[in-house]
Formats: sequence, structure tokens, C-alpha cells
Amino acid sequence: MALLTLVLRLYPVIPPAHQPLSKTGAKSMDANQRLLDEALAEQRKENKKSVETLLADHARFHESGNSIRMTLKATDIEWLLQVLNDVHVGSWILLGSPQKELPLPVADDPRAPQIWALELARHFQSSLIDALNHGT
Amino acid sequence: MANTATPEIMPDIERDEKSKPESEKEPGYLVICWNDPVNLMTYVTHVFQAVFAWQKQKAEFHMLQVHNLGKSVLVRESLEKAEHYVHQLQKYSLHATMERDE
Repeated sequence: MALLTLVLRLYPVIPPAHQPLSKTGAKSMDANQRLLDEALAEQRKENKKSVETLLADHARFHESGNSIRMTLKATDIEWLLQVLNDVHVGSWILLGSPQKELPLPVADDPRAPQIWALELARHFQSSLIDALNHGT
Repeated sequence: MANTATPEIMPDIERDEKSKPESEKEPGYLVICWNDPVNLMTYVTHVFQAVFAWQKQKAEFHMLQVHNLGKSVLVRESLEKAEHYVHQLQKYSLHATMERDE
């Protein structure tokens, strides 16, 4: 629970206006690019609100033995996947977009926070997709 | 029985849209997803299913195209629809763009 909270509180990590609408970058697309950036910024605000609402709703988290079970509504799935992947991809961008998988960091590695954020976000994301695919 | 006028039969002059030459077709935009080494394959498949309402098999086909060939053309659409799809894909942090179909 603490690790999931930690990951969710990092959101958003991807820099604003990071994603181009088109690779050709035509001048005629400038206005459309602005609209896209605004729409994505608005989406981030909404997702951030959803994160805060989820974390404040303690009834969604049930302790059982050494584990915690989180209950999600169907409407939570998509924004939660978007948030987790933002932290996953955003941490990768902060690490310089490495083309190969990075080894787990040693304690004094200055890149440790980003590497752990990337690994944890990927782990939670993968668990959520597995749960969706297997209906659990 | 009431009197009825004989219907006038007009020749069928409907345009055959399918046989339009390429140069006369509506300008279209290709929605393309590009490969990156970070997104999970299962995640990309899920996003394609969620955004385009595709069956898993079709979503996996395009995901593998992205993975193996570096990119996949997902749909060809009007400007507005292509923008909509790029926005949806970028909401999920996929590397998606739209390019004019010349």
C-alpha cells in the first residue's frame, strides 16, 4: 500500500507538451498541437484528482494478513493504467530514454529514485493488466 | 380502388464512390503508433482494445507490428477523427502521431 501510494503520488512525471501530434511538424498543425497539449493537461488534472480521491477512500483498502486488497470500480481501471504508465514512461524519460533495461541500482546511485519508480509502476501496471485478463 | 398515378421511373444516377480515382478521395490522416523500448506489450494491446474497441487478436496483430517493424498504421481517418484517436492514445502515454496520407 505504501509503495503504491508512493508511485501514485509521483504522478504526473511525463513533462507537459512532450508528445508531438505529428512527426512531420507541419506549421498548419500548430493550432491542433496546442489543442492537444491543452486536452492532455486537462486530462492530467482529472487523473490527479482521481488519484487523491482513491487514496483518501480508506474503505477501498482491506488488510488481510500480510497483504492489502484494493477494490477498484470498473471506471477506475483506465485512469489508473494511464497514471501508472505515465510514471513508468516518465521515469524512463528522466533516465535519458535508455534503449536497454537498466540494472537495479545500488544505494548511492543518483538515478535510484527514477529506476525504482519505473520498476514499481511497471509492476503495478502489469498486475492490473493480469487481473483484467484473468478476471480476478 | 382509388386512382393512382403511374410512378415515374428515373434512371439511377447515384455516384459510385468506390471507383473514385485516388486523387479525388477525401484527404486522410494515418494514425501511427511508434515503437519504444519501455511500454509493456500487454499494455499496448489493452490500449488498442480500449481505444478502438478491437478484438484482442486484431489489437495483438498491431502491437506486434509496432514491436517488430517499429511502427503500425492503426487507422486512416479524417483530420478530426485522427486527432481524437491520437489524443486517446497519448492519454495512455503511447507514442502515437498522425501523418497526412499523401
